[in-house]
Amino acid sequence: MTIRHHATDETLMRYAAGQLPAGPARVLAVHLGTCPCCRSRLAEFEAVGGALLEAMPLAPMAPDAFAAALRAIDAQPDDAAAPPLARARTKPATPASLPGGVPLPAALRDCEIGPWRWVGLGVRASTVRLPEDRQARLTLLRVGPGRKLPEHGHVGTEFTQVISGSFSDGYGRYGPGDLSEMDQEIEHQPIVDPEGECICLAALEGSMRLNGFFGRLVQPFVRI
Amino acid sequence: MKDDGVPDGAELARLIGLVATERDRQAYARLYSYFAPRLNAFLRKSGLPPNTAEEIAQEVMLSVWRKASYFDPTRAGAATWIFTIARNLRIDHLRRIRTAAASEDEQGEVETAPSGETLLLTAEREARVREALKTLSAEQATVLRLSFFSEKAHSEIARELGLPLGTVKSRVRLALGRLRVLLEGHS
Repeated sequence: MTIRHHATDETLMRYAAGQLPAGPARVLAVHLGTCPCCRSRLAEFEAVGGALLEAMPLAPMAPDAFAAALRAIDAQPDDAAAPPLARARTKPATPASLPGGVPLPAALRDCEIGPWRWVGLGVRASTVRLPEDRQARLTLLRVGPGRKLPEHGHVGTEFTQVISGSFSDGYGRYGPGDLSEMDQEIEHQPIVDPEGECICLAALEGSMRLNGFFGRLVQPFVRI
Repeated sequence: MKDDGVPDGAELARLIGLVATERDRQAYARLYSYFAPRLNAFLRKSGLPPNTAEEIAQEVMLSVWRKASYFDPTRAGAATWIFTIARNLRIDHLRRIRTAAASEDEQGEVETAPSGETLLLTAEREARVREALKTLSAEQATVLRLSFFSEKAHSEIARELGLPLGTVKSRVRLALGRLRVLLEGHS
């Protein structure tokens, strides 16, 4: 898959810094799963974190902190010698695939995928619940082929990762693996391409008033 | 516990290796004395109250002992690896749940087998990032640091610097653009 729309530097940096809220962070994790280019850019921003850590002035620990660390080490069974692969991975009971036989992205495997619900305008939505943050607003959307959506702006940034199918707006055509970051200053009118339905994962950041297209559609589900 | 000067990246990686394979407590002591006070400062700077920052710094150092065998020098330098542990534990603390590390591990599954070449590339990346950071202007370095440490990146920076939000946004973009040019200019 050829990825033409990537994460912005700002988003990658905030993800690297651990500052991106859970919902947008998962959308980005799905994108990173398909995009080696963004993975390598992320590694650079994580290296920025390493450099900032090393450049920190020293804030001394309590005098007995190291002794306490050794006591903690002695108190627990030492399993670190085991190679990483020996660790069992738990596999939660989520559907392995999305409608149309589309595989569920690996980055969503530990999520609870809700039932698909009709929201009108040729759109169905499913709420995705994250184990680390039950309040996170994250939604899978299935939009019918050729659907034209009302022009809209955003209060917060809207992160949309295309999982299958494609849509276009004034800024380009978004296919599988592409990430769209729509800033609050931007107005756009996405149209799903006529070849087939489009499944995407969407999250909004920092919005109390969900007036974006996807935001308006998911509003009944997130009950803000 | 002693600190024999400032260890460089290769030395830090070697120490983590000793902790992983030999359970070497002297190596661990050196890592502890180097990283714990920096982690403590880093976590305070990212907004945690001092006692919480110290608790998490301690947790990070315990993870370094436990997870030393997971350290892969072909993926990240020592400080970068420890930074990501601190980041994940901070997120876990803020969300009061422990899952961040799991999704972090999963990401690596798609990578190809490590080789001497990727080790070299990783070392180069670490060096390149450090060089690039040094050549940022003071103003650019400030917005970069602030956006790294603030959750509400733009609005917090705007408040701190007393600047309009739009100005801050464009400064952050400029700093990141500059960093990007520097990083790509070297590759």
